[in-house]
Amino acid sequence: MQKSVWNIYKTFFKIGTILLGGGYVILPLLQSEIVDKKGWANSEDIVEYFALSQSLPGIIAANISIFVGYKLQGVRGALAAITGVITPAFLAIVLIANILSELVAKHSIQSIFSGVAVGVVILVLLTVKEMWGKSLVDNFTRIVFLISMVLACLKISPVLIILGSIFAGIIYRSFKDNDISSADI
Amino acid sequence: MIYLQLIFEYFKTGLFSFGGGYATIPFLYHLAENYDWFTTKQLSDMIAVASITPGPVGVNVATYSGFTTSGIFGALIATGALIFPSFIIAVIVAKLLAKFRENKYVQSAIYALKPAGCGLLAAVAIGLFRENVVQLWAYILFGLLFLMSLKVKKDPLVYLGLSGIIGLVLGGLKIL
Repeated sequence: MQKSVWNIYKTFFKIGTILLGGGYVILPLLQSEIVDKKGWANSEDIVEYFALSQSLPGIIAANISIFVGYKLQGVRGALAAITGVITPAFLAIVLIANILSELVAKHSIQSIFSGVAVGVVILVLLTVKEMWGKSLVDNFTRIVFLISMVLACLKISPVLIILGSIFAGIIYRSFKDNDISSADI
Repeated sequence: MIYLQLIFEYFKTGLFSFGGGYATIPFLYHLAENYDWFTTKQLSDMIAVASITPGPVGVNVATYSGFTTSGIFGALIATGALIFPSFIIAVIVAKLLAKFRENKYVQSAIYALKPAGCGLLAAVAIGLFRENVVQLWAYILFGLLFLMSLKVKKDPLVYLGLSGIIGLVLGGLKIL
């Protein structure tokens, strides 16, 4: 499928429609639609955009759509991706706005939601597994993974974690390069 | 006037909420307390409903409050104002990244950024597990879905659909 602006819009519209159970579900959906089915990006791109999205202001699912869209077709692609992903959300809310409170109180709706909430955990775990293989390549990256996970569980701001990892990466690589060049001499 | 307020408040929310959809929630509570766009009760209903309607919760709440205060046009400008700051910032970052991707320091940054992103997502998975998998039925469903994921690589929609249907059936049987 060609990466035309219209196709980007359509693909993100589909992702937006099945984006249930919170914004993080966009990651398994991108993995399935953009990486596996369309081959427009790879898992490494997705994990990189996710990390960047976490450290920028705004909604993660929106930010990551903008990054993917930009990669595919520049600013026009970014615009197509973001409008595509929020159109279904927009329509759904406009349609149910008046019956919102009754809807939430319905037992059957709550049951569906409790079930979906379990499915979401599996989806996010599967995405971690997918990204794991692509981003944990040596001891340094394994340590970064572990520290980031622990700090995030302790509710440290993701902005600080991402900035810290960038800083650590630059320092580590600089030292390593120095080691190699001194070993050459 | 209401349009300007919607634009101003949602622009601010979009610009200052770091760390994802749930980071917008404190801002939204602030709106509930300071405007009569929606009550805190409506907001908590909204957050509950956001997980069964498509799209990120922040977008859903912006659309909802814009719509209830001033119709479809209000819904459009509130949603637009929320997304606009991230659009500008993300596009600038994407442009810079494309330009400097070959740079040594940018490559070192990305090399460390990826495992950090993976760690953040692992923490999300742990948080979601502790929040959503509490009762026995949920552990069983989780175990079954996990075994299924080892055998076959299925579309995310299959997991969402299957777990939703199982939830509905368990609810019907009064297990939930």
